[in-house]
Amino acid sequence: MRVDIGARTDVGRVRSNNEDCYRLVPALNLFVLSDGMGGEAHGEVASALAVETIAAHCLDTANNPSIPLLGEPRADLSDKTNRLASAVHLANHRIHEAALSDPAHRGMGATILAAWLDGQRMSLVHVGDSRAYLLRGGVLEQLTLDHSLVAEQVRRGLITPQQADTSTMQSVLIRALGTRPEVEVDADEQLLLDGDSVLLCSDGLTRMVTDPEIASNLITHSEAQAAADRLVELANENGGEDNITVVVLHLRLGSEGLLARLRRWAGGPSDAASSGGGQ
Amino acid sequence: MGRLLLKFDDAVLREVSLGSRAVTIGRAPDNDIPIDNLAVSNYHARIYTEAGRLVIEDLNSLNGTFVNDQRVERAALHDGDTIVVGKHHIVVDESHDAALPLDPGRKVVAPKVDETMVLDTKQRREMLQLAVDAGERSQLAPSRMRVPALKVLSGKTDQKEYVLSSKLTVIGKSEMATVRLRGWFAPDVAAQINKREDGYYLGRADRVPKVNGQPITGLTRLNDGDLIEVDGVQLNFLYRD
Repeated sequence: MRVDIGARTDVGRVRSNNEDCYRLVPALNLFVLSDGMGGEAHGEVASALAVETIAAHCLDTANNPSIPLLGEPRADLSDKTNRLASAVHLANHRIHEAALSDPAHRGMGATILAAWLDGQRMSLVHVGDSRAYLLRGGVLEQLTLDHSLVAEQVRRGLITPQQADTSTMQSVLIRALGTRPEVEVDADEQLLLDGDSVLLCSDGLTRMVTDPEIASNLITHSEAQAAADRLVELANENGGEDNITVVVLHLRLGSEGLLARLRRWAGGPSDAASSGGGQ
Repeated sequence: MGRLLLKFDDAVLREVSLGSRAVTIGRAPDNDIPIDNLAVSNYHARIYTEAGRLVIEDLNSLNGTFVNDQRVERAALHDGDTIVVGKHHIVVDESHDAALPLDPGRKVVAPKVDETMVLDTKQRREMLQLAVDAGERSQLAPSRMRVPALKVLSGKTDQKEYVLSSKLTVIGKSEMATVRLRGWFAPDVAAQINKREDGYYLGRADRVPKVNGQPITGLTRLNDGDLIEVDGVQLNFLYRD
């Protein structure tokens, strides 16, 4: 399997500092993004702590799987997804501790969004309003539910999606990392297919760029970095009111040909198929 | 003639002018005051004028209609009365003359919030937990006790029945598949089933499965009794007690 990776973060056109950050760990096919909050209280400290903690925890446990899990493992999730959720619990703990120990950091917090690929299986965890999208067969689907007040109001039928788009309460989160000693983590698993694209992004993108614009951009730019660059440009052209961060993954699975399959049945080596060339 | 104000907490979600016609309240979208909340019955209550008086009548709703905290089947309404349906409030305002057009939502008074902030537990409880009511719990409880399963009707698989206990269920020949296909030409990953908050969704992988004879066009929510066909295997999706 081959993953074409593109990523970019940008301060936008209004804010003076960038509190977003991302971390790519291609060796593990792990991709992490965080949107810090707290302004004066250094949201960028929280988001950096979040992505570094998660990357380090996953790297550590890849070498030593016996490191205990934080939080209750769920029976309906794979080991990898439970491990990723555990990393998020650890990040929450670290940010919370840092905020308590340093008065300058009090009130800081961050969203988190992490995708971890294991072959075709993707583990996806998140807290906050950073979103993951899946583009499959030209159709864009949002994989994550925002942990924001307006999204919750829509889910409960209190307001319509149109009202949510114009609400003045869009920045109010109901869940984030670092604001409480414990955090509830959303986790999902997807089976990815050849030709799929996955987008991870902060709300600085989704408030400025519509879903159809996102879809057509991912379809148009077959190179992931070009797609990421263009999405950031679009957000800035539309106002750039917040920091913008995007991670684009184009999946090229390289489907196995009949010959390779016959060879596998015959018990022969199939290394020719694993190079990702395929069709 | 006055008006009705639909409120949640202190926010006015909608206002409806009172006229000669009856005003219906319920979860179905064709009500005059639709309330999309599971605690509210499809056709919950109606308000109408009778002999010059404003009257509310409960339409045998599951969770009841309350006027000033008294459960009522039929009652006269007065200016300032508060009707409770689910967790929403409807305030009777007969002092209001001008019939204003519907203006949903924009009356929610809130300060402009520029910086991202997180509600603390207390604020969150106040603003949201109110909506988590008995109606939603009683709706979720029965389905939780029923176990979703796939029963193999025909075709080669490694088991005759599978309980769907995971977030992701893969159907295929691959070792990571839960539903292992045995056919010679079966693909490693033929289809997938994703568990979501509101149910189980079937999606394609290297095959496009059929549900009740129709090829799916995207993620398709599975209903009790659905017939799934993928790569020569027929599966019955059902909720077992």
